[in-house]
Amino acid sequence: MTAVDAPALPEARARRARHGRQGLGALGWTGVAMLAVVVLGAVFAPALARHDPDVTSGLPFASPGGSHPLGTDDLGRDLFAQLLFGARVSLFIGVAAAVIAVTVGVTVALIAGYYRGAVETVLMRTVDLMLAFPFIVLVVVFAAFFGRGLFTTIVVIGGVIWARPARVLRAQVIKVREFDHVLAAASMGASGARVISRHVLPRIAPLVAVQFVRAANVAVLIEASLAFLGLGDPGRESWGTTLYFAQARNAFLTDSWAWWVLPPGLGLTMAILGFAFLGYAIEEWADPRLERARVRRRATRRPSPKRPPNPARRQGGDMATAADRTEPLALEVRGLSVHYASADGPVRAVQDVSLSVARTQVVGLVGESGSGKTTLVMGLLGLLRPPGRLRSGTVHLNGRDLGFPRRSEIAAARGRDIALVPQSAMNALNPAYTVLAQVAEAAALTMDGRAATAKARDLLSSVGITADRHRAFPHELSGGMRQRAVIAMALVNDPVVLVADEPVTGLDVVTQARILRLLLEVRERYRIGMLLISHDLPLVARVADELVVMYAGRVVESGPTALITAEPAHPYTRLLLDAFPTLRGPRRALVAIGGEPPDLAHLSRGCSFEPRCPVAVAECPQRLPDLYDQGDGRRAACLLRELRERS
Amino acid sequence: MARHAARTVAQYALVLFAAITVNFLLPRLAPGDAVDYLLPPEQVGTISADQRAQLLGQFGLDKPATTQFVDYLAGIATGDLLVSVRYGRPVREVLAERVGWTALLVGGSVVLSTVIGAWLGFRSAWSRGTVRDTGTLSGVMVLDSIPPFFLGIVLLVVFSVNLDWFPAFGALPTVDASGLALVTEVLQRLTLPLVTLTASSVGPMYLVARSALVGELQEDYVLMAEAKGLRPSRVRHHAQRNALLPVSTVSLIGLGTLVGGATVVETVFSYPGLGRLIYESVLARDYPVLQGAFLLLIVGVILANLVNDLLYPLLDPRVRRAPRARS
Repeated sequence: MTAVDAPALPEARARRARHGRQGLGALGWTGVAMLAVVVLGAVFAPALARHDPDVTSGLPFASPGGSHPLGTDDLGRDLFAQLLFGARVSLFIGVAAAVIAVTVGVTVALIAGYYRGAVETVLMRTVDLMLAFPFIVLVVVFAAFFGRGLFTTIVVIGGVIWARPARVLRAQVIKVREFDHVLAAASMGASGARVISRHVLPRIAPLVAVQFVRAANVAVLIEASLAFLGLGDPGRESWGTTLYFAQARNAFLTDSWAWWVLPPGLGLTMAILGFAFLGYAIEEWADPRLERARVRRRATRRPSPKRPPNPARRQGGDMATAADRTEPLALEVRGLSVHYASADGPVRAVQDVSLSVARTQVVGLVGESGSGKTTLVMGLLGLLRPPGRLRSGTVHLNGRDLGFPRRSEIAAARGRDIALVPQSAMNALNPAYTVLAQVAEAAALTMDGRAATAKARDLLSSVGITADRHRAFPHELSGGMRQRAVIAMALVNDPVVLVADEPVTGLDVVTQARILRLLLEVRERYRIGMLLISHDLPLVARVADELVVMYAGRVVESGPTALITAEPAHPYTRLLLDAFPTLRGPRRALVAIGGEPPDLAHLSRGCSFEPRCPVAVAECPQRLPDLYDQGDGRRAACLLRELRERS
Repeated sequence: MARHAARTVAQYALVLFAAITVNFLLPRLAPGDAVDYLLPPEQVGTISADQRAQLLGQFGLDKPATTQFVDYLAGIATGDLLVSVRYGRPVREVLAERVGWTALLVGGSVVLSTVIGAWLGFRSAWSRGTVRDTGTLSGVMVLDSIPPFFLGIVLLVVFSVNLDWFPAFGALPTVDASGLALVTEVLQRLTLPLVTLTASSVGPMYLVARSALVGELQEDYVLMAEAKGLRPSRVRHHAQRNALLPVSTVSLIGLGTLVGGATVVETVFSYPGLGRLIYESVLARDYPVLQGAFLLLIVGVILANLVNDLLYPLLDPRVRRAPRARS
């Protein structure tokens, strides 16, 4: 097994899964095909047409047939020839105007985005102004005053539609400008022009391509509208001009509209649609914003080993040593597995995980990011989103068997018996509503509106949000306050178990301590069992009664906190303990865990921690260790321990 | 808040001033003599030098440019917009007759395309990646790619000429009608232009609604809404409440594009709005009317932008500044 560049992989995989191997996708290729038809017709117009489009070559209003595949217009000119030569004019004007628009747009975007300041303000206000104007009206007025030549048309259209590319690209320039290597180049004294041409332009090139295609799409449409209004170049007929004559001479009152109006109209639609499809496909493929958002979301619930299921011996002294056995367990999860569908087949993100939480007990679930903690929680709450899928497992809540927690079955318990404080809870509030409204909304699930508001106020006050802040919007509160509001929201329907996913990550140390104290308080006051998830083992160890350590989607060690911290049974747990400084206790050297988390799509059949394990032996890569019961409430999945116990 | 509003209004006043200036400069920068633009084309070559001078004097074009500009501004301020070459009546009167029809057509289209676009877009976002989503997306893109005048002609041929369901042109019945009969007649004549304009402007609304909701669905508050036990319809409400913000913005800002589309659609259906007036004025070289209509449209578009900027902070508690200022 090799440690591969893990973060890069999911991205590449997501990309491949979404676009197949073709790059552009079906929509993009359809666009290319449509444009190809139009371009070929335009290029080979002289060879394909059998008449001069501007010269009378038959009877007026002739029906299709003979040497006139589409018949003739009112002057007896060949409509098929007009269609082919019209494509030339329409396409040429469209593309030429797009070149102008994108050139101006890129220039404005680079100047505004790179140099910022007052120049930017002036330029972007102009852009706003241009965007607000009715393009077609503007072009019509310009064309009315400046004449109807081909060149004028191109300049006028290009001069009106540059604003959109400028606006979109400027945002990208600003983003690229802040990239480390660009900042580095600039700070080492490279000139603005050099930084722009070497670093900024290449990065925004795909988006320039998108904007070019979009501009061509708009330009073809505007030219057609202009020509349809009779403002095209009278010497060079485009499709729009043909339609103008058809309209002016009432072609649609006769049968001739079917071959006079439809072909150029469909040609226009095809060209515009071709550009639209192509632009959409390139954008989907190139847009870094969409891509990043997608990966960020998935990164927290990633992959895990491909191994045969391991029905570990999980019955028996199921880590409930400290719990009061007279009342049912608050939460019990058995054999839960989650798979992600991917282009390379299923990725096993959580494999056969079992754990339980008693009332008033705090169970800490720890492990590096990517070890499957959040996926486990989403799985047991029935909140997994595609491509994630629950494969197996049962959930008991307060002694009640909910069975296989598919979305619908767990839904009734969510927010009532089991509550979640999600990861980055500070962002888990809807920005459009006050915190009171959002807490009361949850309370209203089990009581009427007035009581719900009262309950919400009570709870908000009890988590430390003073009454005058209850009607604040989320953005008006600090991160710690928002965290408290989310905790209040989770508690509002008296759950028996609270799942808190990284509840203090991202908060400053003082706030961290306060939030932890608050969580412990509410646990006592409301007699709640708590599943506390964190990557920070020492922090969790301060408050948890029991610990569950996960690595690569599996539980590698579990048991009472005191026993585990005193003598970790799994080398990974030991390294986790050593990786963080402690405030109390003897000083010691900090050890970073070497190596990378495994690529969960391609694991060996052995222990997945083996490549990073300082004490691995020859057998480790060969055999998957079972969760081995040590008799004192602890279980660990390490061959060394197993071998030692046995010997 | 009040300061923000004041600054926004000031900014738009500046934009309006710039637009008026452009409108003033345009005919003066264009090639040729001002007289060329004041007379019907066939008369341009026929007048004497005296007549020419008299004409210039009549329109105040013999004065210095600055004086002309001041007069022009004063004219706008008092609603005095020169006299139409074609109609021989004040431009103001000509515009007043037309503006109502365009407002009806464009207003109806804004409402319809926003509602339909948002509905389709949200549906697509909820079922992102499914056949329904891809199908709707492709369908909307096809619809969006049909030039409005082409769609108009096809609808006209099918529904007016061949099926005779709707009158082919105008906005008012040719015979006198009143009360309900009048309303019916007006609606009948409005239908095809309205359908055409709505069909060609629903695309951008759909795309914005779809991508806005796709973005919101990635937000943690949606997960929280689900986790706290809300019904699917309530969860949907949470996300859509926020996704509507960009939709409302585009609906108001897209007015400019819609007005452009109206120009073409009104021409196809001989609908007596501002767009049709612009077209007729171009053909008749009635530049005073052209300028006046252009000015009126710009004022309308700027007002819509202003309303958006002032309205946005009320809709979104997060921003004190409008989104356009942040972009």
